[in-house]
Amino acid sequence: MVHRINPWTKGVLLIFTVGLATVLTDIWILLFLLALSIAFYAAARLPLGVLIGWWTLPVVFVVTLTVMFMFTEPGEQLLTFDVFGKRISITDNGIMLVVKLLVRALAVVTVSLTLFMTTRYTHIAHMAFRTLPGTLANMFILSYRFMFETSDEISDVLDAMHSRSGSLARGFSRQTKIFAGIFGLSFVHAFERAERIAKAMEARGFAGQFPRTERVPLPSYGGCALIALAAVAFAIATYSRYFAGGPLGW
Amino acid sequence: MAHIHLEDGAFSLPWLALWSLLAAGVIALSLFVLRKGGMTTRKLAVAAMAASVGFAASQIDIPVFGGLHLNFTPLIGILVGPALGSLCALVINVFGAAVGHGGWGMIGANTLVNALEIVLGYYSYRLMRGRLKTGRFTSGFSATAFALIISALVVAGIVIVSGIQDSQQTGEEALPSMTVLIAANMLTGIIEGLATGYIVSFIGRVRPDLLEESEAERTEGMAMVVAKGRANV
Repeated sequence: MVHRINPWTKGVLLIFTVGLATVLTDIWILLFLLALSIAFYAAARLPLGVLIGWWTLPVVFVVTLTVMFMFTEPGEQLLTFDVFGKRISITDNGIMLVVKLLVRALAVVTVSLTLFMTTRYTHIAHMAFRTLPGTLANMFILSYRFMFETSDEISDVLDAMHSRSGSLARGFSRQTKIFAGIFGLSFVHAFERAERIAKAMEARGFAGQFPRTERVPLPSYGGCALIALAAVAFAIATYSRYFAGGPLGW
Repeated sequence: MAHIHLEDGAFSLPWLALWSLLAAGVIALSLFVLRKGGMTTRKLAVAAMAASVGFAASQIDIPVFGGLHLNFTPLIGILVGPALGSLCALVINVFGAAVGHGGWGMIGANTLVNALEIVLGYYSYRLMRGRLKTGRFTSGFSATAFALIISALVVAGIVIVSGIQDSQQTGEEALPSMTVLIAANMLTGIIEGLATGYIVSFIGRVRPDLLEESEAERTEGMAMVVAKGRANV
């Protein structure tokens, strides 16, 4: 079902998800937002195991950057212990801060992944050309198109290094040199590919814009209703947060 | 490289809007500069490939000090210049946000930080190679380390000024946490400086023409100044 939703609708829903994750502060409403995003992902029949894997990155980022706040945030002390003679404690506000940041991050990442995993490349290309300046849209599309080849090439070179016992090399300097060589090679190959692509584009009459093979129609009435619902939710959340002291901690 | 790895919701809406507007200004300036200089198909392809390599390389875990991720923004600046490099920074940040490597709302702040790294990296490298006549490794290392140390301070500044949502700490109270962040980013910057130095030396041996953007003498510019001077006489 989600695969058939108009890409514009999905894109706008992502924007409103980012907005709601930014504006909402009540933990229960944030958890509801996360639940909705997971339901959206599940409705697309996408594998949940893959989602858990993708969640690792934002979880690591949030935890490593805000772990100090668990100890320094003022609030009721939940756990106290001594470290090198100094008393430090984990506070309730510190834990809530980390939890809220996690919930916000995971809700947005889930919707973002759902969008990109259920939208065709040609539709993303059309949306990029309709929303961005031409040069930027061309760069996005070209980078997106060749990102996977570049990633595969780097992976292949890393595999070649490992198969030749390159991973046995120890020492900061040696490891850095090895990886610098791999990345340097990747950049050189990328530039050579760019030169070939540029010649191919010019030979095929590239005049500043890629041809759009598939256009994306505007959202249907159902899609517009969904967008309107998200917009109303965002407007209420923003008004309650910034202009009026609303209920539920907004 | 310095990068605000905070996810969506870390900054409040007004700060999000501010950083995004500033970043939009930087991107608009880059597009204007490119349009004036002429955007060729080769430049477009080179910038796109640099962005795709930059993103792909940033996902690789280097087994140094437990594992590091580098982003090579100063290197991209050295290879493609500040204007194209700023666009690459935006593209890399958008791809990163799509997979949870930073938030969508953080794209503005991250693009500002990365654009600063690219500009500082480019001009520092150019200064060292052009004026100080240092070797490629020294120039690459110094330019990258300088750019990333400055950007580490800028990252901490942005986080302190914006504040973390739901945190009751003032900027001063959050300073110890930020100090750890600054120190980690600076150390990573020095390591990336070493890596960039090696990469630039490698590229200089294999394809020195790829470094023309940052190593070209300002002969064209000077020739134009001289020609204009003669025309006015």
